[in-house]
Amino acid sequence: MGYLDALRNITIADIKVDLMRTAYDNDDALLNRFDPRIVIIWSAIFVVVPWFFYEPEPLFAMLVASLLLAYLSQTSIYLLGLLIWGSISNIGFIVILSSVVYWWEGGSGGLQGAVVDNSVALLPFTMKLTVISVVSLAAFSAMSPKKLAKGLLSLGVPRPFTFAIAYGYRMMPVLLEEYHDLVNSLRLRNRAPENRGLLRWRYYFYLLKLSIKAFYPMTFNVAKRSRVTVEAMETKGFSHSLCNEDSRELRLGDLEILPRDVTFMLVSLLFVVVVAVFL
Amino acid sequence: MNSTTITVEDLTFRYPGSDEPVLQSASVEINAGEFTAIIGGNGSGKTTLCKAFNGLVPHFFNGTFDGRVSVGDTVTTESDVSELSRTVGYVFQDFENQLVQPIVRDDVAFAAKNHGLKDYQARAMDALEAVGLKDVADRFIWELSGGQQHLVALAGVLAMDPEFIIVDEPAAQLDPHNARQTYEQLREIQQDTGVGVIVIEHHTEFIGDYCDRLAMVADGDVAWAAPVEVGLNRVEELLSADIHPPQVTQIARQLPEGDGTLPNGRFPVTVEQAVDAFPTATSKENQPVKSDGGGSNEALISVNNVTHGYPTLREGRKTVLDSFGLELYAGDRVALVGANGAGKSTLLRLLTGLESPDEGTVTVLDNDTNETLPEELAEETVYIHQNPEEMFVEETVREDIAYYLENRDDPNVDERVTDVVKFLDLEDIADRDGRLLSIGQQRRASLAIGLATDPTIVLLDEPTGSLDLQSRREVTQMLSRSETRTETVVVATHDLQLVAEWADRVIVLGPTGILADETPQSVFEQPELLEQAHLRPPQVVELSGRLGIDSPSLTTAEIVDRLTTQEGR
Repeated sequence: MGYLDALRNITIADIKVDLMRTAYDNDDALLNRFDPRIVIIWSAIFVVVPWFFYEPEPLFAMLVASLLLAYLSQTSIYLLGLLIWGSISNIGFIVILSSVVYWWEGGSGGLQGAVVDNSVALLPFTMKLTVISVVSLAAFSAMSPKKLAKGLLSLGVPRPFTFAIAYGYRMMPVLLEEYHDLVNSLRLRNRAPENRGLLRWRYYFYLLKLSIKAFYPMTFNVAKRSRVTVEAMETKGFSHSLCNEDSRELRLGDLEILPRDVTFMLVSLLFVVVVAVFL
Repeated sequence: MNSTTITVEDLTFRYPGSDEPVLQSASVEINAGEFTAIIGGNGSGKTTLCKAFNGLVPHFFNGTFDGRVSVGDTVTTESDVSELSRTVGYVFQDFENQLVQPIVRDDVAFAAKNHGLKDYQARAMDALEAVGLKDVADRFIWELSGGQQHLVALAGVLAMDPEFIIVDEPAAQLDPHNARQTYEQLREIQQDTGVGVIVIEHHTEFIGDYCDRLAMVADGDVAWAAPVEVGLNRVEELLSADIHPPQVTQIARQLPEGDGTLPNGRFPVTVEQAVDAFPTATSKENQPVKSDGGGSNEALISVNNVTHGYPTLREGRKTVLDSFGLELYAGDRVALVGANGAGKSTLLRLLTGLESPDEGTVTVLDNDTNETLPEELAEETVYIHQNPEEMFVEETVREDIAYYLENRDDPNVDERVTDVVKFLDLEDIADRDGRLLSIGQQRRASLAIGLATDPTIVLLDEPTGSLDLQSRREVTQMLSRSETRTETVVVATHDLQLVAEWADRVIVLGPTGILADETPQSVFEQPELLEQAHLRPPQVVELSGRLGIDSPSLTTAEIVDRLTTQEGR
């Protein structure tokens, strides 16, 4: 019990730091070196490209490439793991359900054969989804909040929205801490289930209930904070900047497309061509 | 040197939806180049007055506005908040919510960028240097301590090169050490650049030490504006607005006629002045120092060889407690003091069982926190949060108090709740939502939530934070009264007046562990110890030291007694 508890303690704090690192510690991420507009356009393209392929081999090559990219972009292991588990369990469920129905209906090959056939059939689809998710995760977690906001602003997204992104990044750690404190506060005033159940499922269910209960106080606190923020924004000339050309110029002035951005784009497209032709 | 003046003529303002105007024909003049303090009771209109200087009133708060406010040549009704904020900067009381960008440098440059000023980078760096935070320019906002964040908010305002800076209650949200740092910075900035600093403040001791002028707001009008020495001497008026003059002034008032006044007939307002004015005292015979508990009583809590820390974003794992050991006994009134980051909150959290120590064991009432769920430990131990809002989960205070009891299917819920509500004088607010109460009321309510569980051990994190003197007195009284229902109370605090008046055992924490574990009396006798832990003794203790009284008095009553018996001889 002590060991499990200790493991859980370390895990929560470590998960928090790991997620923060993903979102904020972008200095060494590969994709952070490029102009944000290129990265955004690039990820838009590569979310569509996998849909043009049907054979497992080229898709597998793309999957490997995207995982490599995710690694180079310092994406959180927990997030990647969660994502991959999501894909597999989603498809896995369909495979099992369809196999059971097939076997039930008396199809030839038996249950085992059905499962194998269905898995193979759904493999390309699974890989497409995984490639798309990994690519977007890598791209958006690699870019620093500042770059992301700048990139979106220069592509025409309205300023209030891009400001909201930067503000969200600023508030996230604070809210995470508050939420954790609220859940702890609730734990100290509730009664844990006496009978822990198999693998302590009752206990985890109880923690889940508390996690949901803590949302309302948290949103209320956020609402209270925003009163001051809105006033402060006025004093910082925010509404003035919405229609001020000089301000926009200052913000976007240092965005420029360098040769390496163009190279990156071309290399990626070349990779796709190679994969299409040879695989 | 600027000579801009803010002139307020006959200002009347009523918020939309409110029946009474907050400000009624208020008039005042404030000059740049001076350090002005604005005081007033709760709801007197001082914040509204200051928001009229930068245009938030009436442009942001659309109420009914009569009268005229001008900053130099600009009339506020003819300009807008953005423009006026270039001349009059405002640091909000909730400064954390004023910081809107993730990186320090970006937030300081935010206003300058919004105005399209090309030299925004230089402005940001200059401002950061002026507040002494050049090294943290590229850190994330949440990585900074509270005191540093306040200075970043200040830097953000300075980057626009204003002629006036308004700071709303700096001492309310910051601990005394950081509040003093902020005041030092403000004084430096004021002297270097000639900017006009206006603070809204309750803590008269800071006003006495740093300000030039004092303006009192009462009943929606500026009652008077005078130099600080004169203003702080108007003790009756201050007390009627629930504002307590500095301790030295209070002491001087209670001394017999003639003693304790300065040559010009006024009472002193700073320790320096008091040292000149008061008669020196020879030391009395030492009173026996009370033992710090232990030995005969049983240890309710023992911390054995605990090492504990937390992971940080960039610096690996940070160790807060190292091979730490401590025993707490029944009947102890323990105060945990120390600089921020010394481990006070960490220690309290380990005692609740929410975190298990990385190494070592914590035993609370014979339960090892490694083996026991915090929910079970909470049956005997109660933790009262630093932020009382985190304890409100229901819609009324009464329901919050009952929450714990209902969860345990207690048969006498209503009875016990009514009992606690009466005990802590919460009848008026028991049926309101906790989050809508004032901070003083919230703290009483959170204490009630804790006491309802009939705990053996009560852990409080900064119970007097953000409170004005009146409310702090009330909390101290509540703590004393709740003795009858609990065995051990542990308070983590920066409030040395609370320590002086209530604690019988003080544990001073430092980066290397426990620096001292003694009675308040003996802790206050060691100025180097206090210095090391970033603690500033109350004025009464400092005064005792300066006047040559050997064992320092901890309360004003005590020192008045000492000084008058002196005279009697």
